[in-house]
Amino acid sequence: MNVTCPCCGERGKVTFERSFDTTTTVIEIQKLTKTFRKFTAVDSLDLTIYKGEIYGLLGPNGSGKTTIIKMLTGLLQPTAGTTKLFGHTLPCKSIMNDVGYMPQDTAIYIDNTVHENLFFFGSIYGISKQRLEKREREMLQFVDLQNWRDSLVSTLSGGMKHRVSLACALIHEPKLVFLDEPTGGIDPELRATFWEYFGSMVKKGITVIITTHYMDEANRCSRVGLLRQGKLIADGRPSDLKNNTRTNSLEDTFLALAGRKKP
Amino acid sequence: MKLRRTLGFSRRALLQFRHDRRTFAFVLIMPLLMILIFGYTFGGDVKNIAVEIVNQDTGLPPGTSTLLPQGLFLAKNITKNFDRNTLSLHENTNIDDARQKVHDGKAWAAIIFPANFTQNFLTTLTTQPGTAHPKVEIYLDASNPTISAAVIKTISHTIQITLKELTTTLNKTQIEMPITIEQTYAYGGSDTRFIDYFAPGVISFAIMMVTTMITIILFVNERRNGTLQRLLVSPASESEIVAGYALAFAVIGVFQSIVVLVAAILLFNITIIGNIFLALVVILLLAFGHQGLGILLSAAAKNEMQAVQFIPLILFPSILLAGLFWPIESIPSYLQPLSYIIPLRYGIDAERSIMLRGWGIGEIWVDILVLILFALFTLSASVLLLKRKN
Repeated sequence: MNVTCPCCGERGKVTFERSFDTTTTVIEIQKLTKTFRKFTAVDSLDLTIYKGEIYGLLGPNGSGKTTIIKMLTGLLQPTAGTTKLFGHTLPCKSIMNDVGYMPQDTAIYIDNTVHENLFFFGSIYGISKQRLEKREREMLQFVDLQNWRDSLVSTLSGGMKHRVSLACALIHEPKLVFLDEPTGGIDPELRATFWEYFGSMVKKGITVIITTHYMDEANRCSRVGLLRQGKLIADGRPSDLKNNTRTNSLEDTFLALAGRKKP
Repeated sequence: MKLRRTLGFSRRALLQFRHDRRTFAFVLIMPLLMILIFGYTFGGDVKNIAVEIVNQDTGLPPGTSTLLPQGLFLAKNITKNFDRNTLSLHENTNIDDARQKVHDGKAWAAIIFPANFTQNFLTTLTTQPGTAHPKVEIYLDASNPTISAAVIKTISHTIQITLKELTTTLNKTQIEMPITIEQTYAYGGSDTRFIDYFAPGVISFAIMMVTTMITIILFVNERRNGTLQRLLVSPASESEIVAGYALAFAVIGVFQSIVVLVAAILLFNITIIGNIFLALVVILLLAFGHQGLGILLSAAAKNEMQAVQFIPLILFPSILLAGLFWPIESIPSYLQPLSYIIPLRYGIDAERSIMLRGWGIGEIWVDILVLILFALFTLSASVLLLKRKN
């Protein structure tokens, strides 16, 4: 069906909700640049991400990962370049129904219960009460918090808060999920659990964009982009990157590409 | 703007208050405490002022006059009429001792009726005035203007009453008082107390403080915790977020005002002669405007600590310049124009006009208009602020 998006005026064989049905391209980034005064945080980034990928944005602190995520989610206005999500040029509010976002901070309301958080974030996506009840059950089961539904978030442990945060990002069944350092500062066991979650999300056809500075985690991504000083210095499957640079770990790959020798 | 989404924001915020008991208590207890403390302590009327009274009046010897009642002691009549709540009278026979008490700070004033007080009164009535005028001497410690004003006011008021009494007990045509003052009240009355004047102000003030402070803290937390970013990545629009919170604050504001009003009515029996719904409309406008202000200020604070630093910035101009305690007329004239830029001034003015004067929208439309403009300005500015992405 031929529809024009009310936000970006893009025409094509798309509906607002299932535009990815006809194409496997989910994100199309062209010459994306962000400068803060004289500092270039993201430098002319070109990148295409396809449906069902776990794409890992990998790089040290200050390499521009979060800035990229913020531009891809419309939180930041790029200095130059364009981003298309599902064929819609940003900024585009209507496409946000298909996007889930888990910020770096836990980003849930600590003075509300788990249930209230899930229902609130569900309601802003216009989900009906009936479906929301079903989704809540699924999400609580997914992050294994069935017994904590009516607990105040402030009474939960840090790991539990992270799980609630993930559940809130997924409550509206997004097709594309941005996870900004979801495993930052959490214990190894929960990190392993989170990667199981991400794996099962991808199996459902969800595209996952994840930022991390844990090089070992990046091995689990279907594709990684190595970022250094706002520039994409490599982009490919983890195994290919390692083979191309004749290194054994992505950490060494990064150092090799950055022109530094292993200490 | 989708209603369901907007209501979702309000609902969540209200649920948060239900869980956060301390904040909820702040919302209710702050205005209640204010009205209690100020209602009881700041009651406006000074009480139990220690006053020495020396009565040397020898009265009217029998058979001297047919005009005045036999055996009249005018000073005694005046003394009898003093308001014993305001003045705590101590009778003294010695003038010097009475003066010394004032001097030593044991009394605020000494009232002295000389020996021929009643006789001189008669002379003034019957013969040419000026020869021997009846005189009350007051020796006053005026270091506290509020107290000395109350003493003077009580004395002259009492003398007036006594003379009035005297004329009504006699045949009216016999004594002509030189000047009579006739008071009629446009609004209020002789029984209007400070608390009646204060209650409408404190309701407006409480709404302003609570709404501004809680909005600043809520939005500082929204930003810092990342929940705001999450909302901005959702299909929800910035105006839905602002409207959702506005609705929540409207509910809180109305609830708070009702509690304070009921408390003021039950505890202090305050006068409300105007339309209570109009009073609530003013409250809502105040809440909307200050919510917008809170969102704008929240952008300038990085954490709750910095947010708290805004309190004096908002508190003092409002207390001092908006006419909460003291009339704006008492502010030095070069500072008075400042009060025009404080929105609370219009809220307080409107609430007082409604509750004490019974005025309607026809009389207070300027206040309402200013509050509407203020709310429109701050709310749309905060929508723009949330939209800013750089």
